[in-house]
Amino acid sequence: MKEKDIHSDDAKLDTLLRANRPSPPSLPPRFQENVWRRIEDAEAPVKSESWLDALATLILRPRFALVTAAVLVLTGVLFGTLEGRQAARHEAQMNYLALVAPSSVR
Amino acid sequence: MRNAMKRSLIILLGALALGSAIFAGSYFVAQRATVMCCVDPADNLSWLRTEFHLSDAEMARIRKLHDGYKPKCEEICAQIARQKQELQTLLGNSTNITTEAQAKLNEIAKLRAQCQAQMLQHFVTVSQAMPPEQGQRYLAEMKRLTLGFHEQTEQSMSGDSGHEHHH
Repeated sequence: MKEKDIHSDDAKLDTLLRANRPSPPSLPPRFQENVWRRIEDAEAPVKSESWLDALATLILRPRFALVTAAVLVLTGVLFGTLEGRQAARHEAQMNYLALVAPSSVR
Repeated sequence: MRNAMKRSLIILLGALALGSAIFAGSYFVAQRATVMCCVDPADNLSWLRTEFHLSDAEMARIRKLHDGYKPKCEEICAQIARQKQELQTLLGNSTNITTEAQAKLNEIAKLRAQCQAQMLQHFVTVSQAMPPEQGQRYLAEMKRLTLGFHEQTEQSMSGDSGHEHHH
């Protein structure tokens, strides 16, 4: 008898508790969708912010830096040699001229 | 984000500076090396050999001609220098050109003309010691280098002043 009363009290308590349970808070519209989007954004790889960052990243690549340096050295040597030839020709010409044609009669 | 951009900019500017230094360094080293390698300071006639593609025999002939010409040229140059010194003394601080100074100027002009004629004769002789085509090219080049300057000056002066000098 006593046990039966206890069960009856439990059921009442349950009913009472259910009746007094606060209703779940109302979520903002498209809450779930927004949550998923934020999770996806957080998991996505970090992208370069601008072309400047992309260029800096490229410059810091050892292979790119090495190739660029080699191209610059080769171009410098090529232009320097061409210019040097002209300068050497001119210098040799002036040496000859100074020898055969005194500046007083030029 | 600002810091990242600043870092990128520094990297870019640093790379540009380094690149420029690499290019400039290579350029100047190559240029100097070429000049040092191609110009023989001990041989002032080397230009003739390279420019007019002369053989050893042709160079030997030209060297001989040059050795004959050099003392004559030096002698006239010494005379011109002496006359110029005397002219300076005659002019002194005067503001007028005296008859003596005028005579000295004429003497210097005569010596210069003599030197110039001798020089041109030497060019002709040297050109004849070269293969015909190269000889013509040499003569034209030497005329341009030695007489061209005066021609340019005279032309510009006659053009600017509006009257012509007839020589």
